[in-house]
Amino acid sequence: MRETRLKILQYVTGAGLFIIVGYHLWFSQMGGDEATSWESVTERAQSAGWLVFYILLLVFVIYHGLHGLRTIVLELSLPDSAARTLDWVLLAVGLAILGYAAYIPISAF
Amino acid sequence: MDMKRARARTGHLPNRLGVKGWAWAGRYTLERYLYTLHRVTGLGLLLYLSMHLIVNGLRLGGEEPWTDAMGVLGSGGFKAGEYLVVAAFTIHALNGGRLILQHLAFTFGKPKPPVYPYVDVMRRRRSLTWIVLGLIAVGLVFALIEFVV
Repeated sequence: MRETRLKILQYVTGAGLFIIVGYHLWFSQMGGDEATSWESVTERAQSAGWLVFYILLLVFVIYHGLHGLRTIVLELSLPDSAARTLDWVLLAVGLAILGYAAYIPISAF
Repeated sequence: MDMKRARARTGHLPNRLGVKGWAWAGRYTLERYLYTLHRVTGLGLLLYLSMHLIVNGLRLGGEEPWTDAMGVLGSGGFKAGEYLVVAAFTIHALNGGRLILQHLAFTFGKPKPPVYPYVDVMRRRRSLTWIVLGLIAVGLVFALIEFVV
């Protein structure tokens, strides 16, 4: 049941990322160089809406990416102890990445 | 490793082929190759994410390192890399949508009695795969036009 819940969460984050990353890519590509200029970046950093957008993007993408990686590694028939260690390592890595990556827009807000 | 012992311990048979099984283990269907493509694009996007976060971290250093980095990343070689990222996202997202629909059985239709010659449900619903491949092709061409023009 635990694995089913994790998988459903994988689907939910995947569907969310389709919209969020799609918009992120569309915005950065359609905006051309303007979207990545320092002025544009600092202006977006002042917006609470963009802050929520980036945090949501990070949570979704880190869960989806690391759970996907876990699925691939677990298919290689690891011993139970190694599989449990993998879960804890990925959890720690995910939280560390989230902390670092979320600090960037939060510190600029 | 003995298969019975492995099954008793992990609840499933050992994956003898490992990563090699992504490419070939007999007569794979189209969907099986899409599975491999899904993994390759997923791992590529994960690699890109880590690099993207490192570059984003330059923002903490102020305007000068940020502008310098954007100047380098705006050059031709990196633009080609960006196109590959958009292409990987397009493939992963659209094929992922197909996987969600099929894993949750939304596209399987009503069960039918098995009549010879037997056809598995993936082949019976192959049209969805072709639609997704068509959408991926359109997305890749559209993105290419956006990048080149």
